[in-house]
Amino acid sequence: MATLAQSPNPDIALRIEGMNKYFGNFHALRNIELTVTRGEKIVVCGPSGSGKSTMIRCINRLEEHNSGRIVVLGTELNDDVGNIDEIRREVGMVFQHFNLFPHMSVLENCVLAPMLVRKLPRPQAEEMALRFLEKVRIPEQASKYPGQLSGGQQQRVAIARALCMQPQMMLFDEPTSALDPEMISEVLDVMVTLAADGMTMICVTHEMGFARRVADRVIFMDRGEIIEEAPPETFFTASRNERTRQFLSQILNH
Amino acid sequence: MGSLLRNQKARNALLQAVFVGALGSLVIAGALIARQNMAAQGITSGFDFLFKPTGWEVTFSLLPAKPTDPYWWYFLIGIINTLFLGAFGLVTATLVGTVVGLARTSSNDLARLLGRSYVDVFRNIPLILQVFFWNALITNLPPPREAHEAWGFALTSRGLYVPILNVHGLAFAGATLALLAAIVLPIWLGRTTRLDSRPEQRRPAQLGTAVLALAGAVLILFLGRLPDTSLMSVPALRGLNLQGGLRVPPEFTALVVAIAVYGGSYIAEIVRGGFKAVGKGQVEAANSLGLTPWQVFSCVRLPLALRAMLPILANQYVWLMKATTLGIAVGFADFFMIVALTINHSGQTLEAIGILMAGFLIINLSLAALFNRINKAIALKGSQLRG
Amino acid sequence: MTDLAPPAPGMLEDLRRRFFASPLQALVSLLSLGLIALVGWKLLNWALLSAVFDASQGAEACHRAAGACWSVIAARWRIILFGLYPYEEQWRSALACVAVVAMTVLSCIPAFWTGRRIAAIWLAGTTVFYVLMKGGVLGLSHVGEESWGGLALTLFIFVATCLIGFPLSIVLALLRRSELPWISRTTGLIIDAVRSLPLISILFTFAIVLPFALPHWLQGDKLYRVIVGSALFFAAYQAEIVRGGMQGVAHGQGEAAMALGLSYWQRVSRILLPQAMRNALPATINQFVISFKETSLVVIVGFFEIIASGNAAYGTGEWRFAYAEVYTFIAFIYFVFVFSLSRYGAFLERRMSVGER
Repeated sequence: MATLAQSPNPDIALRIEGMNKYFGNFHALRNIELTVTRGEKIVVCGPSGSGKSTMIRCINRLEEHNSGRIVVLGTELNDDVGNIDEIRREVGMVFQHFNLFPHMSVLENCVLAPMLVRKLPRPQAEEMALRFLEKVRIPEQASKYPGQLSGGQQQRVAIARALCMQPQMMLFDEPTSALDPEMISEVLDVMVTLAADGMTMICVTHEMGFARRVADRVIFMDRGEIIEEAPPETFFTASRNERTRQFLSQILNH
Repeated sequence: MGSLLRNQKARNALLQAVFVGALGSLVIAGALIARQNMAAQGITSGFDFLFKPTGWEVTFSLLPAKPTDPYWWYFLIGIINTLFLGAFGLVTATLVGTVVGLARTSSNDLARLLGRSYVDVFRNIPLILQVFFWNALITNLPPPREAHEAWGFALTSRGLYVPILNVHGLAFAGATLALLAAIVLPIWLGRTTRLDSRPEQRRPAQLGTAVLALAGAVLILFLGRLPDTSLMSVPALRGLNLQGGLRVPPEFTALVVAIAVYGGSYIAEIVRGGFKAVGKGQVEAANSLGLTPWQVFSCVRLPLALRAMLPILANQYVWLMKATTLGIAVGFADFFMIVALTINHSGQTLEAIGILMAGFLIINLSLAALFNRINKAIALKGSQLRG
Repeated sequence: MTDLAPPAPGMLEDLRRRFFASPLQALVSLLSLGLIALVGWKLLNWALLSAVFDASQGAEACHRAAGACWSVIAARWRIILFGLYPYEEQWRSALACVAVVAMTVLSCIPAFWTGRRIAAIWLAGTTVFYVLMKGGVLGLSHVGEESWGGLALTLFIFVATCLIGFPLSIVLALLRRSELPWISRTTGLIIDAVRSLPLISILFTFAIVLPFALPHWLQGDKLYRVIVGSALFFAAYQAEIVRGGMQGVAHGQGEAAMALGLSYWQRVSRILLPQAMRNALPATINQFVISFKETSLVVIVGFFEIIASGNAAYGTGEWRFAYAEVYTFIAFIYFVFVFSLSRYGAFLERRMSVGER
């Protein structure tokens, strides 16, 4: 396993080994082990406070892990600022609260990073932004400002913004939990299309329908630990774990 | 009558009439008594005195002034002095406040400690005490013969001497305006939506206007050169005094320093508040897109913080503008001091106070209007601002 | 769940992370450290190490020393604190200051935060102050206002400003919120006009111009006119704060009270004001702080308050050079008052934002 960094397997997008994370004295993540191959779609679920968000936030260093190793796309995450920048360029992220920049129009939101980070000239950046806005089905909103859009539209812009960096992997941190019910499907549809295109995706979500349709594997976390890891059919119907079944019954039967 | 008082509408009308009437009669009574008192002293009320010569000197003026000038000219001088002091005070206070405010929001404990000590010390001492202190400090400096000199600047008990260009005053003002245009016009060109072309196609136009305005500034300076002098006038010791350069009087220096130091401590808190108001999510999103720390700061944190602080900053600027009236404490001829001197010399009390109120009303309202425009122009569009 | 905390980094590693994580961080740290050391050392050297404390040798000793000349304070502190108050009676002035401080401290205790108690404390405190200062009763000799000065005068103007200005601000706020358009508009006009003027111009108007416009029997002493002017200024600002607090009271509160049949005054005094004052508390304390600092402006209309008496303390004869020491002393007095009050305000704000609701 230690040879991983030396001879990167091109098929492996993410490898987490024995990762621990503390907030002060609170042990937020315990011995996380996870391997994701390219093109794989992972859905992470679990009760609130179980560390799902913290785990995926560690993958692009929004949170710093305290021990263990995280290797993203062949690059190890450590104190090396260059590595962090490289990983952030290649990993897109979508947040629960969209986090669009309210002082920039939709188009500006999308071209900002490609121009600043990838040094793309503006015409190319805009052309690409429009292509991705088309992909998330809101090209007509390009000149509006985030505050003028509905929640579902904002989240789709946020997805387009992340895609504009042409990332090799996408992280979704509860992308639909802050949305009104009628807007959830428009965002999930975009995510399904994205999955069909072969994007490597790690989604923290409670949308079990989406997990069934798209996920290659479902991961269940509780109290900072990965409790169970299984393909969706097994996970939803034949889970052996007590906590998983309890969680599923709470979330599905209401 | 009794039933009328029980009628809500009638009672409301009566209440309002009594309230406004009482206030109005108070004002009228005051004006009448004042008129009577002034007449008893042989002062005719009215604004005719504006056109009479003042007969006294003014200590500081950007415009030519002599005792034979009429009062209205002196009022103008006062307003210009106030605006001049105010502009210097606002700019320096903003610079100080930005530096200290950034130190206070820094992730570095030492820088934060420094910023916090600064704010705690200077915010809690009255401005007028600071004005007195700086004024005493400067007037207790060594005389010109033993002045502290550096890079052509000299600090003496008679004030601060700075090197200047040997040009006509008007030419200097014109060149300053041209320089301002060289900065403002390109920015405006880059942001305006009135032109059909897309912003990045305007680069040549931006460059062109900047170069033109700069050339204009140089040309104005060249045309306005005083004949038979060197280009720069540098203060130098001749006998017991410094010759050449420009003497900034001690009271002006003291006021600017005090306003910069005191105002800076308030603006620092506004700057800090502005950065605190920037959503954590926006910064995380910028980080996750791979922006460098500087890019996150300049493209996301700074623009959002600016929008959060602007309304409060506008209030602070109005306050600082009013603080220039402290000039009277150290003998700087600001608008208020001119008004006070006018009352002393001419006795036209009510008129002078009226002019004072109108003057400050106009200054404050125009500042407020300016900031409202800026605010509107950069306000975040739409409703869900914290998205 | 018993778990070990993360392995604590060593002290050196901790230092490196906090202050030298990047070249820029290191530069900022070193610059800050240098500045702290430089200013700290200079101040320490000036204020303590090279300073002269011994007043017995007079001003001569100070000329030889490189540091501060605290002997000027030792020699002149009575002038600075008490102004021209008769020498033998200065204990009364000191006691009066203590009374004001005690009153302020008492009104910072939440147990006294009901309209009646606060009013009682302030009226009692001010009466004690006034009797002590003015005398003429209880065997105290009479001392006219013209001999008041120094810290006592500063405190008196401040307290009187608040005592008049605070009730006035509530009245102004209620008038501005009135449903009768002419009343609310006129009040709004007055408030905005006062707020747009510099305080000095208002003090000047009340001190020097107002006598022109008042009948003789109404003119009163210049001190009280200035206090009224300063109170009006305070009230104009405080009224907007109170109004802000009233706007924070849920609309339903007033409607519920109306539906219960409460009269206007009952609604205002029992329902609206208690809640509004709670909302407005942090801003109110901030306004008190600003107002205390601005009291110093009366020096311009010719009062012998603490700054003017400070100017007098160093302005004559042998102490002419010792301006920095005198101003530092006065600044320190202001600092103690203002800093503790504003810290208290910040504490309240934190407590309120964490505490209820």
